[in-house]
Amino acid sequence: MALESYNIKDLPEDELIEIDFEGVKALTPSWADEVITKIAQKFKNTKLVNTENVTVQATLKTLREYSDLKI
Amino acid sequence: MKNDLEKLAHKWVKSKTEEVDTQGEYYCQTRDVFEARNNKIPEMLVNKGMDEGLAYLIYSMIGELGNNSFDHNLANWPNVIGIFFNVEYDGESGMAVIADRGLGVLNTLKKAAPNLNNDEEAVELAFTKKISSRILENRGNGLKFVKNNVMDKNLVLKFHSGNAQVFINHNMEIKHTGDRLNGCLAALYF
Repeated sequence: MALESYNIKDLPEDELIEIDFEGVKALTPSWADEVITKIAQKFKNTKLVNTENVTVQATLKTLREYSDLKI
Repeated sequence: MKNDLEKLAHKWVKSKTEEVDTQGEYYCQTRDVFEARNNKIPEMLVNKGMDEGLAYLIYSMIGELGNNSFDHNLANWPNVIGIFFNVEYDGESGMAVIADRGLGVLNTLKKAAPNLNNDEEAVELAFTKKISSRILENRGNGLKFVKNNVMDKNLVLKFHSGNAQVFINHNMEIKHTGDRLNGCLAALYF
């Protein structure tokens, strides 16, 4: 949430946002839905990169299926 | 060994309030204690031979189950605050048990879905359907995440809340039980 508040709050909605999962050991839907889903909803050019980690894959799958993650 | 842990958790949830063990090693009164203990789990699993990807997936699933207990009962614990939590792994198979004496799935989801009639309907909603509610904010996907991973990785989850029992492996079965459990008990076999 610090990320959203301080780093991207004032960016235009067509800004390219790249969320890089390099080095991530574990991701969960409760956290990701608060951050990734909301960023992707606000910024239409959001890209997810280095998503090979098992928990990243599983979390994105859950959010695409049951939440509002469209990317 | 494994069944003993599940039985211990069941007994912990069913005990009279004044008899609940809050001194034992499996009790986590606060989220901080739970997360500190869970943070040690991946290393323990990997050191005993588990693939790192699966170890962190199990860690993530435990995290969702345990945090569900704290999120959904915040300031509303009926009696004993906190959860029963432990993980056992012998290098070949193991289990994680997370249990709470909280409101249970039905009482929690009724805030968002007041038409729910019973515990079985509530757990079906929790595990399988998209919940559109500002009341639950973004806290409604943890059990679906767990279910998807159990099915994908050929694990087993036994989940008990109220009068509903859920069994998940490749399929999901929900049945009514006369053994009412006020709160939630999740047993993840891997």
